[in-house]
Amino acid sequence: MKKLMFLMVALFVGVSASAQTLPDVKVENQEAKVISTRDLVDGTPMIISFWSTTCKPCIMELNAINDNLYDWLEEVDFKVVAVSVDDARTLSRARAMTQGQGWDDYVCVYDKNQDFKRAMNVSLTPHTFIVDGKGNIVHSHSGYTPGSEQELFEKIKELK
Amino acid sequence: MNYAQGVSFRRMPLCAKYNLSKMKRFLLFLGVAFAATLSVSEASAQIKVGEGQVSVALESNNTFYTEDPTLESIGLDQPFKRTFGDRGSNDYLKVDYNLNSFSAGVQVDGYLPPLYGYDLYDYIKSKNLQTDKKNFAFLSFYTQFEGKNWGVRVGDIYDQFGNGLIFRSYEDRALAFNNAVLGARAYYNIGNYATLKAIAGKPRIYNERSENWVYGTDLSLSISDMLGWSNGILSVEGSYFARKDTDISEWNEDDYNDNWEVIGTTNRLSGNETVNLVSGRLNFEYSGFTFRSEYATKLNEDLHTPGKPLAGGNVLFLDFGYNYKRFSASASFRRMENMTTLIDPRRSGIGGGNNINYVPLLTRQHTYSLANLNPYLGASVHTGGEVGGQIDLYYSLRNPKARGKYWNFHVNFSMFNTLDHAMGGSKDATAPKIDGRNVWKDFNFDVERQWNKKVKTTFLYSYQRWDEEVNHYDASEPHYNTSHIFVGDVTYKFNKKHSIRTELQYLASEDYEGDWVAGSIEYNFAPKYSFYVSDMWNCEPMGDAQNVINFGGNYYEDMETGVGKNYLLHYYQIGASYTHNSLRVQLSYGRNRAGYVCSGGVCRMQPAYTGFNLAMTLSF
Repeated sequence: MKKLMFLMVALFVGVSASAQTLPDVKVENQEAKVISTRDLVDGTPMIISFWSTTCKPCIMELNAINDNLYDWLEEVDFKVVAVSVDDARTLSRARAMTQGQGWDDYVCVYDKNQDFKRAMNVSLTPHTFIVDGKGNIVHSHSGYTPGSEQELFEKIKELK
Repeated sequence: MNYAQGVSFRRMPLCAKYNLSKMKRFLLFLGVAFAATLSVSEASAQIKVGEGQVSVALESNNTFYTEDPTLESIGLDQPFKRTFGDRGSNDYLKVDYNLNSFSAGVQVDGYLPPLYGYDLYDYIKSKNLQTDKKNFAFLSFYTQFEGKNWGVRVGDIYDQFGNGLIFRSYEDRALAFNNAVLGARAYYNIGNYATLKAIAGKPRIYNERSENWVYGTDLSLSISDMLGWSNGILSVEGSYFARKDTDISEWNEDDYNDNWEVIGTTNRLSGNETVNLVSGRLNFEYSGFTFRSEYATKLNEDLHTPGKPLAGGNVLFLDFGYNYKRFSASASFRRMENMTTLIDPRRSGIGGGNNINYVPLLTRQHTYSLANLNPYLGASVHTGGEVGGQIDLYYSLRNPKARGKYWNFHVNFSMFNTLDHAMGGSKDATAPKIDGRNVWKDFNFDVERQWNKKVKTTFLYSYQRWDEEVNHYDASEPHYNTSHIFVGDVTYKFNKKHSIRTELQYLASEDYEGDWVAGSIEYNFAPKYSFYVSDMWNCEPMGDAQNVINFGGNYYEDMETGVGKNYLLHYYQIGASYTHNSLRVQLSYGRNRAGYVCSGGVCRMQPAYTGFNLAMTLSF
């Protein structure tokens, strides 16, 4: 434990301000093909939102972004990546739900054993990140209250 | 006994002073980490070490149990069972280092002391009856390298084969569950059409490592990629997984005495068995249709008589999907028999933390409290198997010109039956049989309407029928309880920041605890603050001294006076939350009903209690 603490303290030394990059983890896409999360980085900024079928505020947040999507896209170019952390129990429901909620403009990926969630240090859903076109994580927000989607829009506009 | 490294806390000398200073240091460390994290989170910056970067996540869940004379007088709250005291705290600190394709990390789980009502609590308690130690910790770690077509990971491994029917290692903090396998894993991709994976190690059981080894291999082959099909997907996959039980036949009396809680006094098995499981999968997708299937079988273990090689178990899982524009449908079918596979069968009866495979419940997991009051808990534990399925239909009605107005419809139906099984789980072919019967049926309909930018409403109706006798292995007759649940939910946005959400629920039933009513009001000040109050009230007297013993109700006798009456209890909550970037703090106070807390298709029984909860998460 002593050694571990040394290691930790050593890690805290040398803090400098620079953005974290998106980790490289395997997830499934809508067609159930395994893709790398690095493939999501294509020059367009993105909102990455972790959700599950049993998380009501997550669905509220994704619906709220969807309601505003076209208005926002008129001002700034970005994409939305909805990451379902549903496991084998609710995975097929999650796939059906993305269609049945009208999220057809979203990039939907499935993180069935939560590897991406773990790599992004997400403890609770919803948890939303803003990633710039180069793959740097520039903002993150945990939880959802109606209206907090505006903050995401403001942050993504700052990237322009 | 060859314990792996992660259990260092438990193997330390049991000296109170030593442990106290250790714990102080741990708390100090948590404090330092928290302070450092706060300052860094504030700047939304990251930590860099050389070329690599460090990320940190902290989660802390605390409960302060307070006195509730009403709950105590009728025995619903039993404070004397909280042997670790009137406070609990489950904490997780995770630190990762990442440099290009290399990454490494540690996670410290602190149970300071553990939260009451989790399987982990009972497990730790049962192993520490002779000591006054209250605080426990567990260290896990990993290091991994991801090449272009291959990857290696050493340390604690989270992974699954297919749907997890024969192997899944994962973490679920809502259940204080973690069965990570400490060992090694490697995979190799052959072209873009095949992946071969192998894993071996020792799984974690709560705050310990098991003595048993597990190992397995998985191959997935994409036929469509192999043949260059671009408009469809066809893949075949197969897995093998095994558990090798430690041989304890050579143990002497001291070994048994040291491990009495593991082995029990009457279950001295030879225990050098290897349990083998195999699984095959076929997945297909073409033009909006999807079909996924898995058949898995356990070749040589019977859960009900561990250690005796008998006909094992099997499970068939089928999943169909279809979508067209904004309509989508999904249907799942599953039949399973004796498929629960324990990490260590010699430690049976210690809860879900001892499972190495994942055969979850397939019914809908509700988010509204009354709809989730009596969830389906599965029939396989008590009768060895179940057969059933579910159907979901979704449709979104939208006007492309008015994006802020739409209807979302959802219909869900599920049904599960037990299998024919012998009385008392007997393997004797002449033993009397109990026919399989329906033990769960539900139908749910919900509609969500966004009227305009300000108003959104949700309505839910749920019909649920459950057989209370499913918990009793030899019950030949069912006892059905039926509930009708109605929920109305309205969100009103005053402006871009202020909004209010109200929920009204009613559960109508002639059985069990009778009618319930629940309501809540939530006021949000986006993006930082949220406040809520809620109440759940069992409003109808049910049961009496005669029938309460068998079938629930709200009739209780005062433990001191012996006088019985119907207790129509209120379960109230009041709370607030604060969010700033990735920091979230939530404080609440209230009375919690005894019931099942479910996460990811697995449930744990939470006894009733009244108290404060303080939860915090943070990452950067």
